[in-house]
Amino acid sequence: MIKTLLITCGLLAATAGLSLAEMEVGKPAPNFTLPDTNGKARSLADFKGKFVVLEWYQPDCPFVGKHYKSGNMQSLQKTYTAKGVVWLSIDSSAPGEEGNYPAEKLNQIASNDGAARTALLLDPDGKVGRIYGAKTTPDMYIIDPNGTLVYEGAIDNKRSTDLADVKTATNYVKTALDAVMTGKTVPTTATRPYGCSVKYASN
Amino acid sequence: MRELLSRTLVGLIASVTFLWAAPAAAQQYNGKELVKATLMADVSSIQPGQRFRLGVLYRIEPGWHIYWKYPGDSGIPTKIEWQLPQGFTIRDLQWPLPLREKEPGDLEVFAYTSEVLLFAEVEAPATLPPGPVTIQAKSDWLVCQSLCVPGRAQLSFTLNSGANSASDSAKIFENYASKVPKDLINPIGFSRIGKNLEIEIPWAPNDASLDFFPDPPADAVIGHVVRDGNKLTLAIDTETKPISRMDGVLVVVSSGGNRQGYEVNGRSTVTAFHTGASTSAISLGGILQALGFAMLGGLILNVMPCVLPVISLKIFGFVSEAGERPEKAFWLSMAFSLGIISCFAVLAAIVILLRAAGAQVGWGFQFQDYRFIAFISCLVFAFALNLFGVYELSVSAQATQGLAKLASGQGYGGAFFQGVFATILATPCTAPFLGTASAFAFAQPGWATFLIFLFIGLGMALPYLLLAVNPKWLRYLPKPGGWMLRLKQCMGFLLAGTLLWLVWILGQMRGVDAIVRLGALLLLIAILAWIKGSFWTPVSSWRSRVLAATSMLCVLLLAAGAYGFVTKPSRLVWQQFSQAKLDNALASGRPVFVDFTADWCITCKTNERFAIDTSKVRQEFSKRNVVMLKADWTKGDPEITEILKQHGRAGVPMYLVYPGGGKDTQPVLLPELITSQTVLDALNKT
Repeated sequence: MIKTLLITCGLLAATAGLSLAEMEVGKPAPNFTLPDTNGKARSLADFKGKFVVLEWYQPDCPFVGKHYKSGNMQSLQKTYTAKGVVWLSIDSSAPGEEGNYPAEKLNQIASNDGAARTALLLDPDGKVGRIYGAKTTPDMYIIDPNGTLVYEGAIDNKRSTDLADVKTATNYVKTALDAVMTGKTVPTTATRPYGCSVKYASN
Repeated sequence: MRELLSRTLVGLIASVTFLWAAPAAAQQYNGKELVKATLMADVSSIQPGQRFRLGVLYRIEPGWHIYWKYPGDSGIPTKIEWQLPQGFTIRDLQWPLPLREKEPGDLEVFAYTSEVLLFAEVEAPATLPPGPVTIQAKSDWLVCQSLCVPGRAQLSFTLNSGANSASDSAKIFENYASKVPKDLINPIGFSRIGKNLEIEIPWAPNDASLDFFPDPPADAVIGHVVRDGNKLTLAIDTETKPISRMDGVLVVVSSGGNRQGYEVNGRSTVTAFHTGASTSAISLGGILQALGFAMLGGLILNVMPCVLPVISLKIFGFVSEAGERPEKAFWLSMAFSLGIISCFAVLAAIVILLRAAGAQVGWGFQFQDYRFIAFISCLVFAFALNLFGVYELSVSAQATQGLAKLASGQGYGGAFFQGVFATILATPCTAPFLGTASAFAFAQPGWATFLIFLFIGLGMALPYLLLAVNPKWLRYLPKPGGWMLRLKQCMGFLLAGTLLWLVWILGQMRGVDAIVRLGALLLLIAILAWIKGSFWTPVSSWRSRVLAATSMLCVLLLAAGAYGFVTKPSRLVWQQFSQAKLDNALASGRPVFVDFTADWCITCKTNERFAIDTSKVRQEFSKRNVVMLKADWTKGDPEITEILKQHGRAGVPMYLVYPGGGKDTQPVLLPELITSQTVLDALNKT
């Protein structure tokens, strides 16, 4: 009798353990180290104790373009880096694919755009993108000072390339950051990202 | 007046400018127009109240794709915004079946390549001003190769008003309409198991492969469909409302590579096959509930006719054996209860072992398997007959004696074996319930089976445990009597109700034919049970028993024969009848045999089996190269009704033999009951 109960508990525990292995809001965000466009190695672990935003990025995607041409992304970057948030953009485009540029070219695009991110990281073999399950550009992740993932998904709720939609959209990243930085719970913790597919290397 | 004038003017200008359709505002990429969008209708002019179709045809540059309503991991759906004149109503956009395209990084999208028409049905208003009607639409799309380019077009199109006439585009509409998923007629099953949504398609053809293109709610994040035979699994990563089913398109790909989509939406029949704690997400509450019911079930076993009278006897026994030490009576009844419970543990072990053995030989005991449903139905029915008293179950006399010896001992060991003994002696009354429970337990995981059986045992032992504590409570025990028999019979109706539910599930899975086959099987069981109950009882003479065994054997043989007759596939290759096929065949000069038949017509089936599908007729048919046409009147096809009338018949069977020799050959009308010779004679009448 006790044995069967123990077996039951064991089974339940095993099921719970299985789901631990997956990327999920509320679970620790996996650590990674990538070079930025200035050749400096950046580790997620370096930013422990700070809020971190990960933004999957490649400059030639029209969905990314929507948020940079409208100034939306830069304004988010400015607002939150000023509040101590670390903003890491990650380019996972494989060599030969759209959006894969030398570091200098990316720095030039960044200065033209007036980007205000902490760093732009290069992930040409797509390793980090695959660990996080980044599907589109943009695809957004927010990590809290304990290293726990608190949001993943779309930047906002208007799934289009139309610049005019930026003004009327609900920005999930903004709502999530505003909530979690004032100690409130994030109203929407996961959404379906939209955009171009991340241009991963074929394996 | 002014409005009318301006409208006519706009219409005229539009028709002159665009002739019959307007090309899209071209969107160039490296000097190429990636997508050419054209607005079109399947008619060239419309009348008031007329229904027609309006669509946008997208011609897509090779290597590029645009997106379906659920784009997949990336991309956005193609959008059409209709701008119709006042009074026109338009229905939902129809989406032909897209392709599943894979991209590096395990990304997948649902997309259209080369060309697609997205269209919708429109209804013109009841009153229509004279003159041409201009229809406009705005379309947005994203066209991707490895990179993506958004596109947009403002489209315009003019329809004349007047008598209906088909447009040149009608064929395009027909082509794409045939690619739009059909309504799902047969039900499919959804079950939610933790994070996964499982989709069961019990009716899928054996040689077909299956796929599901999901159309999830906007706030849900989902994974990719994993295919495993008739089961498809979809991981739900994020949901705001709990998802227990999902809209989308079920795709059946035949062995020949034909893809057929079936629309799964709110109107589709979806049967969720939940099998309790086992396959739905295992929750503590679910387990406790099941165990509670198991215990209650065990408790109810005590009021069965073979159990109730024993209780008070046992308790008195324990009390007298304990003598001056009341606590001993308690421990004796504990030992007795342990005996009961261990019987159930053994039963559970048998079920678990049998199931493991079954799994070894590839039997899946699942509620999704129609054979398992049929098996349980038969058991439940047989047990219901038992409860109604059609036949009795009995424990063999030798086993009884052996056990009685063991149980005759005094002390705790004796009490334990008395518990075992009592449980086995009670089986004639409890078997219907325990058997049913065991059958259902086959579909549960082993540990759940074990727990459930232990709790049934505990429930059955409960009165002994309680009464041994305080024998005075015996007066609350209901008095044994005739009511026990009535109760037992009532329980039979409970099982009959369960059977009804099982038959419903089977019907959902396999259709009417399966229900009828199961019904035949149940009838067979009823006959066998009746023979057993009437001629093979513990008091029957050996002569009566031999008679019973022989008649059971005869019934089984008869049933097997009938089954063979009904399910034997025809060795003749029939074509479905149509007047055109008949005319063609006659024109070619070949002889023709037309069989007017129906599924419900027993004479037809008998003729087909014994007069037509015989070696003599088969030989003659193939020698003469006879065209065989089957006109199926099962649903009373009016065209066939008309032909029956022409030959002076009101129904089927009817057989027409055209001996060959050209278009104007007159057929020979065969009688309703035929033999092979009748058919051959008719063929020879040339």
